[in-house]
Amino acid sequence: MNFSHLLRAGLAALLLWVAPSPSAAQDPARAYYAYVAAESEDQVALVRFDGTRAAAVKTIPVGTWPTEIEGPHGVTVSPDGKYWFVSIAHGFPYGRVFKYETGTDEVIGQVEVGLFPATMEISPTTGLLYVVNFNLHGDKVPSTVSVIEPETMTEIARVPHGVMPHGSRISPDGLHHYSVAMMDNELIEIDAATLEVTRRMKTYADHGASMRPTRMPKPTWADPHPLKPFVYVANNGTDEVVEVDLKAWVITRRFATGKAPYNLEVSPDGRRLVVSYKGEGATGVWDLDTGQELARIPNSRKVTHGVAITPDGKYAFVTAEGIGGEPGGVDVMNLETLTRVATADVGKQAGGIYFWKMEDRP
Amino acid sequence: MCRLLPFVLALFLVLPVRAQLVVHVDPATLTLEVGQKATLTAGVVDANGVPQDYPVLFFSRNRRAVGVDRRTGELTAFKPGTHTVVAMVRPPDGGRVLAEVTVEVPYPEVEHVSFAGLPARIYEGTRVPVTVEVVDAADALRDDVAVTLYSSDPAVATLDAFHNLTAQHTGMVTLVAEVEGVRAEAALEVVPNPIVRLDLTSTRTEARTGDVVTFTATALDAAGQVVADAPIHYAVLAQPDDDLGPAASGQVAADGRFVAETPGRYTVVATTGTQAAQRTVRITPREVGQRVELVGHGTVGDVHTSDLWVWEGVDGRDYAVTGTWSAHGNAYFWDVTDPANPTIIDTVNVDARTVNDVKVNARGDRCVISREGASNRRNGLVILDCTDPHDVKILSHYDDELTGGVHNVFVYDHYVFAVNNGQRYDIIDIADPKHPHRVGRFELETPGHAIHDVWVEDGIAYSSNWGDGVWMVDVGNGVKGGSPEHPVVIGHYAYPSGWNHAAFPYRSKDTGKFYVIAGDEAFPNEQLYEDAPEIAAGWIHFIDFTDPAHPQEVARYEVPEAGTHNLWVEDDKLYIGYYNGGLRVVDISGDLMGDLYRQGREVARFLSFDRNGFVPNATMVWGPQPFKGNVFFADHYNGLWVVKLVTDKDEKPGT
Repeated sequence: MNFSHLLRAGLAALLLWVAPSPSAAQDPARAYYAYVAAESEDQVALVRFDGTRAAAVKTIPVGTWPTEIEGPHGVTVSPDGKYWFVSIAHGFPYGRVFKYETGTDEVIGQVEVGLFPATMEISPTTGLLYVVNFNLHGDKVPSTVSVIEPETMTEIARVPHGVMPHGSRISPDGLHHYSVAMMDNELIEIDAATLEVTRRMKTYADHGASMRPTRMPKPTWADPHPLKPFVYVANNGTDEVVEVDLKAWVITRRFATGKAPYNLEVSPDGRRLVVSYKGEGATGVWDLDTGQELARIPNSRKVTHGVAITPDGKYAFVTAEGIGGEPGGVDVMNLETLTRVATADVGKQAGGIYFWKMEDRP
Repeated sequence: MCRLLPFVLALFLVLPVRAQLVVHVDPATLTLEVGQKATLTAGVVDANGVPQDYPVLFFSRNRRAVGVDRRTGELTAFKPGTHTVVAMVRPPDGGRVLAEVTVEVPYPEVEHVSFAGLPARIYEGTRVPVTVEVVDAADALRDDVAVTLYSSDPAVATLDAFHNLTAQHTGMVTLVAEVEGVRAEAALEVVPNPIVRLDLTSTRTEARTGDVVTFTATALDAAGQVVADAPIHYAVLAQPDDDLGPAASGQVAADGRFVAETPGRYTVVATTGTQAAQRTVRITPREVGQRVELVGHGTVGDVHTSDLWVWEGVDGRDYAVTGTWSAHGNAYFWDVTDPANPTIIDTVNVDARTVNDVKVNARGDRCVISREGASNRRNGLVILDCTDPHDVKILSHYDDELTGGVHNVFVYDHYVFAVNNGQRYDIIDIADPKHPHRVGRFELETPGHAIHDVWVEDGIAYSSNWGDGVWMVDVGNGVKGGSPEHPVVIGHYAYPSGWNHAAFPYRSKDTGKFYVIAGDEAFPNEQLYEDAPEIAAGWIHFIDFTDPAHPQEVARYEVPEAGTHNLWVEDDKLYIGYYNGGLRVVDISGDLMGDLYRQGREVARFLSFDRNGFVPNATMVWGPQPFKGNVFFADHYNGLWVVKLVTDKDEKPGT
């Protein structure tokens, strides 16, 4: 499991024994840290939320060409929390993944991958990093998932995928990689060890049906449930999230969401699903037991993008890109009160976000 | 015989051990020829040597040199060298156990050795270089192997360590070249030397620094006849005017062309055998320096500025447009009729963070701006009606297959050449600006090709393609039957750094030569401290494209500790946005050879500091444009500038 998943799973077990506090009070004794990429600023910000206020406590310039916007898109943190990684979308022409040490934020290594690398995550089981080569702006041809050995930053394989791969997430046991092929309307499962595609399905398929709908779902994200055999997929084009049963490999539920759901994440206890509504400038919080949307919380600015839930399940950090010269934002959503409790300004077009650590404050 | 035999070298090592597991790989040593396959097998044992059933994942640290099947361990050697293949196991308690196998892939055996360009006879007492070509079994020309070269009779001909042959005495001799046991021989006859005199002429006896003076040596026999095949060598002796310690300050090429960097007396020496001739030329200072007079400046202090374009509007007044970078999507329109007071008269805002490029058509009524960082990620370009620059109107957006970001554009006739997603340029017809449509496209087919810029002149597009260099493409000139709908390649040239970022065509009035002047963009230097101004690198490459089929790089202009960006040529002057080196103006008249910076060809420099700039008190010149006697340029840190070159013999360059 990665760092976030480990914490999520561990805390989920604890939460089953200890009933969540009904108090909606924020926890000022704990501080949370996440890394956030600002795609039109060539920066990664370290955002700290102290239970009351959120702020970018450090800004790290990324990329190698100060007069060219290189587009940091995806961010992830190694399972042991010692390193963070950022995918740089634009190169000559291929993008790169850079490895930094957390805390010092010094560059450790880099590796060239495919066109417009985007979302990525490390499997705690294989130790490998999987980054989708999104190829957002190229010809609509099948792309790949690059597999990187992160110790030495060596690209060891490119797994053939689909058109516009996105939403790279690892199963809690670390054995499978889930992502979507946006223009193929597919959810794709990759065996994290053999590095082969094991299953794929159309995300418009309903209980095995394969009739093409009039509107294409254009899925943009997939996140496995931390405790149950489900994967949740954001169908950006049809304003819905679908739940996929991994055992039966069928869609079992559909959630009508706000406009253009983009990223999503399931809470560590498996009860909440947080979805960024990119086209609505809002964040949806869903009860996965009842299948009901609990709240639709406006973001601080338009173009909602990434989601990272804190390991204690109390907060969701949601990035909002903004438009034009607006700074990007990281909105902190209290998942108990279902309100936005803080916002941190970061660089323009805030996108990829990944939780790093939480610590007790003295 | 020194022959590199295939050998086996494998390095087996176990990196951090978890759960006391050990991975064994067999074979423990391995050598593969290019194209050869082999299979590794791996086993896992615990601390007691008990086999464990864990899956092993194989991977190569350089899979383009040695491939490995992840599950079966089957190796395939693709490229020579020393490579590492890894067998990895992930124990259930986390961590990983690795075994690394070093795979040696020897170069293919040398198959053929030959002498290149060696004459059948040479004159006694003369000296010629000997070139040996080595080809291996993969038909690759090899320059990484040691060549043993010797003469069968040193009394007739000797060879030095650099493979220069000196004909010592008349007679027959055999030259022998050996590489890894493969041998070549060449018979050579040393004949009596008929040369009794060497005449040396030069095109000039007095010249300025940077002027190319051609020396021509003619060997004559006793009858006064020219010995056309006499090997001639040129060298130069320098006597700089000052004695303050300058080092070598002039150079002479193998064909006798000479250029000096500093004033002084230079003696070119031509030799052939025992004959020698000398000729001295006087080199004076070039004295092309002009004073730069600041005419006007419009500060843009809240954001980075990008490119600019200056034009005469349809109303006869003068205007400029500048872009913004990593900002709010604005393009600023300026009235520069009074260049002392550039004034923003309109702002066009589009959904973007960067408006990297701005261009205006020749008629002055259509402007095209590029978009990057659009909120819907559909970037493309925007076509504007700038008939009235006080009230610029958006006519249309065009992003069909241009969503990746249009970084640079050029407007030529009623076509827009748009660099698309850093990989190609699309050609878009904007004759009906509200309904633009694509008519053509140019993209290289080289692996991993990329592009940065395109410039069009006389129906020829000059694109700058980073590692693939400069490409000349007929897009309507007709020299190759090309058109916007059917671009046809004319020629191309790449240089080793791979930094090619911009290009500008230039035909020398003095020499008739046609150059493509290529600029770099590079940032290999670390910032001195956080938030310090950037330190760029790179230089200007002068590529003689007079024969497009055989372009040659002949000169450079390199400012130490700074780097180039955009450029422009007008009236034998090269204007360069030299990033942290400010604006540079260079005299490129006459023949070009060597390093123009060191030759005193710099006409002027201007460092555009502005304490109210977005980055205060620093310069980062983006691009220049000479216009109606002034030089306009955009500074990435602080906005629009207007300067004028003033001839004042009392002033030195750079003031």
